[in-house]
Amino acid sequence: MSAYRAPALRLLGRLPTVLWLTVMWAVLWGDFSPGTLVAGAMVGAGCYAAAKLPHLPVRLRFRPLRVAGLVGHIALDLLLSSVHMAYHTLLHPARVRGAIVAVPLRTDSDLLMAMVSAGLSLVTGSQTIELDREGGVIYVHGIPIHDESDVPKLRRSVLRTEEMYVRAFGTRDDIAQFEAAERELAGAGAAAEEER
Amino acid sequence: MTATDWATAVLMPLGALFALTGTIGMVRFPTLLGRMHASTKPDTVALVLILAGAAFQLPDLRSALPLALVAVFQFMTMPVLAQTLGRVAYSRGMVVSEHLVTDELADDLAKREAEEGRAAEDPRRAEAP
Repeated sequence: MSAYRAPALRLLGRLPTVLWLTVMWAVLWGDFSPGTLVAGAMVGAGCYAAAKLPHLPVRLRFRPLRVAGLVGHIALDLLLSSVHMAYHTLLHPARVRGAIVAVPLRTDSDLLMAMVSAGLSLVTGSQTIELDREGGVIYVHGIPIHDESDVPKLRRSVLRTEEMYVRAFGTRDDIAQFEAAERELAGAGAAAEEER
Repeated sequence: MTATDWATAVLMPLGALFALTGTIGMVRFPTLLGRMHASTKPDTVALVLILAGAAFQLPDLRSALPLALVAVFQFMTMPVLAQTLGRVAYSRGMVVSEHLVTDELADDLAKREAEEGRAAEDPRRAEAP
């Protein structure tokens, strides 16, 4: 029984990719008639087989409201910080300094980490330099950073971005794990404060 | 001019302006990472604005869909490119520390190297006595 369920499951896992390829095909043709869709599905499946793409289990949830919030946040952030950057570019580019901060991430999901790092590189003013998968630490270069007091601000914005991605796309387990890690980090932070 | 013409007339020059500031930034910023910030991000905004401006001139939504595809691919490829370039630039020592307020990656790399150095030395120490 399981021997024949496995290939079926594998095919099912590949369906979203083929579906996406089909949609792209139809969009490029500008035509959503059944003939185009069938041809697109065939080309998509053929390309998928020829490319021998590895099958990755995609464990994500999609929360429409949170995703809409995230998209809005990214759009606004892109626009505002591009204006901000333009101001610095035109007035005093030589004085603009940056900083590279190490931020321990709270999520442990490969996909979410990749999304967070891409999301940070997407918006103006922050860019992922390195991702330490084992330690779960992300290294982000931020600009403009005028002095030490701006560093915590950059760190907070990275953590906020992470939280938005986890809450928009994480499964229930991811969110539970994220919250546990957050409590642990908060506890560790408080303990470190007390020691000082 | 119709309303759609007005939308295009606002969106396209705005996009061009963003592209221009990005390019000026590329020339005027002193550091490589600064240049990358200045050139990649405002250009994305510029592209989206110009695509939106172009979309208003098309007869219907269906012919505007490929433009959305262009934006999607820009959003998917740009961060990967920027990240790869940033990492390569960093590891080749092209990031000048005088323009950085802090560099925690350098600190952590030094720490990691020290640990690896100790691990490599250990067997030799065990053999010595």
